[in-house]
Amino acid sequence: MKTKIILLLVFSLFLSCSNDDSVGYENIPIDFQVPSNFPPVNYDFVNNPLTEKGFELGKKLFYDGRLSSDGIISCGFCHIQEDSFTHHGHTFSHGVGDAIGTRNAPPIQNMVFQTAFMWDGATTHLDLQPIIPFTSEIEMHGNFADAINMMKNDAAYVKLYKQAFSDGEINSENMLKALAQFQIMLVSSNSKFDKYRRNEIGGTLTTDELAGYSLFNQKCASCHATDIFTDNSFRNNGLPINPSINDIGRFRVTELDEDKYKFKVPSLRNIEKTAPYMHDGRFYTLEAVLNHYSSGVSNTQNLDAYLNNGGTLGIPLSEIEKMQLMAFLKTLTDTEFLTDSRFAEF
Amino acid sequence: MKFQLKNILAVMALAIAFTSCSDDDDNKITGEGSIKLEFDNVYGDADFAFNTAYTNSNGEVIKATKVKYIVSNIVLTKTDGSTYTVPKSDSYFIIDEGTATSTLLELPNIPAANYKSISFGIGVDQEQFNLGATGQGDFLTTAQNAGMMWSWSAGYKFVAFEGTFTSSTVTTDTSYMVHTGQTGTSYNYNTINIDFPENAMVRTTITPQVHIMADVKHIIDGTNKISLTSNNMGGMGAMIMGGANLPLITANLSNMFEVHHVHND
Repeated sequence: MKTKIILLLVFSLFLSCSNDDSVGYENIPIDFQVPSNFPPVNYDFVNNPLTEKGFELGKKLFYDGRLSSDGIISCGFCHIQEDSFTHHGHTFSHGVGDAIGTRNAPPIQNMVFQTAFMWDGATTHLDLQPIIPFTSEIEMHGNFADAINMMKNDAAYVKLYKQAFSDGEINSENMLKALAQFQIMLVSSNSKFDKYRRNEIGGTLTTDELAGYSLFNQKCASCHATDIFTDNSFRNNGLPINPSINDIGRFRVTELDEDKYKFKVPSLRNIEKTAPYMHDGRFYTLEAVLNHYSSGVSNTQNLDAYLNNGGTLGIPLSEIEKMQLMAFLKTLTDTEFLTDSRFAEF
Repeated sequence: MKFQLKNILAVMALAIAFTSCSDDDDNKITGEGSIKLEFDNVYGDADFAFNTAYTNSNGEVIKATKVKYIVSNIVLTKTDGSTYTVPKSDSYFIIDEGTATSTLLELPNIPAANYKSISFGIGVDQEQFNLGATGQGDFLTTAQNAGMMWSWSAGYKFVAFEGTFTSSTVTTDTSYMVHTGQTGTSYNYNTINIDFPENAMVRTTITPQVHIMADVKHIIDGTNKISLTSNNMGGMGAMIMGGANLPLITANLSNMFEVHHVHND
């Protein structure tokens, strides 16, 4: 009896050994489809082909607080799926050690269709973008060497890296590639508006929504362009400057006077779910945003030309027009994306 | 007749020249060896050291506490004009005045030949940046450990030159930090081309050591003079990390390096 048990134990040891050895690259490609109403992608998939294991690893990294200096703050801490990967209700987010930043956490959606990232466009490559929040002292304050060491001592990571990449290496290159794969997959393209644009079932807009879309095209689409709702430019939209922060925006990146107080034009997808609004999260409701454009625009340095018509500031909007715009903006809510279990933390 | 003789002599001379050439011909040298590149930081005509006072042409007295730069994309040119490019993924290094071992690079697998010049980049090239994470291996980790990651722009510091300074108007030791790297307006990568004063003879049995003098003075006091005093914003220190100064500093790097000598033994 004893020998039998020992034999079984020994046998199972061999089994587990051979299981580990057999873990290798699992090249199960993910077929990335560009929605027909979307602009072209801005990413070279040849260098980082999407695979199921690469995406799975990216998701694990995205939700792993152990990457941060205090072991708690993950990417997903400030980017919550049901809020279209924003930090709902937080004007500014708290990072490690309860440090507070000065900019509102933007949504993570349709990243691969954008050409610059962060509110000031500090980086233009999606692979490299996570370096900023990962290493920022007030966000995750992470260290690549520590993170890599942690992952090398974690059997689940060791296995996933082997499955996700042909070289199986746990290094900063593969870590960033996996995070890119996860972010690339976060595509929101099945809102009521998308279905309307693609003539699909469920895409019938109400009279108010249609009127709102028409107004939007007249008054907003010059900046919130294409079906991802940004022209990827940097503009000053006339927010009164908060003297306690005095955020100079794009100037930080270019040090050009003409870029002072300019911020990236954000997408409006899932806008109903991404409050508070603006680079500093100053507006808590969409009504406040529309009121800003109709009557709150301030003539600060580099105010966008669209918002200054011969000295008349802002975008004239009647109360009915605001209501119609609100109705339209809510057609951009993509419940399928917000509840997609592939992206969920738990 | 005389004329013909001259011609004959000329032809003979040419023939000898060719023969002697073929004696030296690289084709007869086979195998691979290594080459060592020594980056020796100097300041003007003195050896460079931390916490030593140097006066620049703006009349500022500087004492450095940090000198680091990324050397990349090394290409060696043979005497016949052909080149050997060190594989890109093995061609990124951080030279750190504070870490002696970092200043001597040994490059393996170099085809045996006589090399007459070298080129290398200071920084990480735009072609690599456009590849994203691809091909970087663990260099981001290395750079972060060395304090050469430019976190805010998700890139690298190409050059980091820090310390304190005084001038006629700045009378107490005031810090300065000069960082170059990619900004929203310019890439700030520079390719340096320098000739060897004598050939580097790479053989299976010979590892030449190329002694490169890097004159730190040139970073802010070269063709373009960058005043620390006028960049001392509100007395908080001269923080030169962007804007129009970076292309000027990048251009200065073109004259920062020279090969002093080559050891072939």
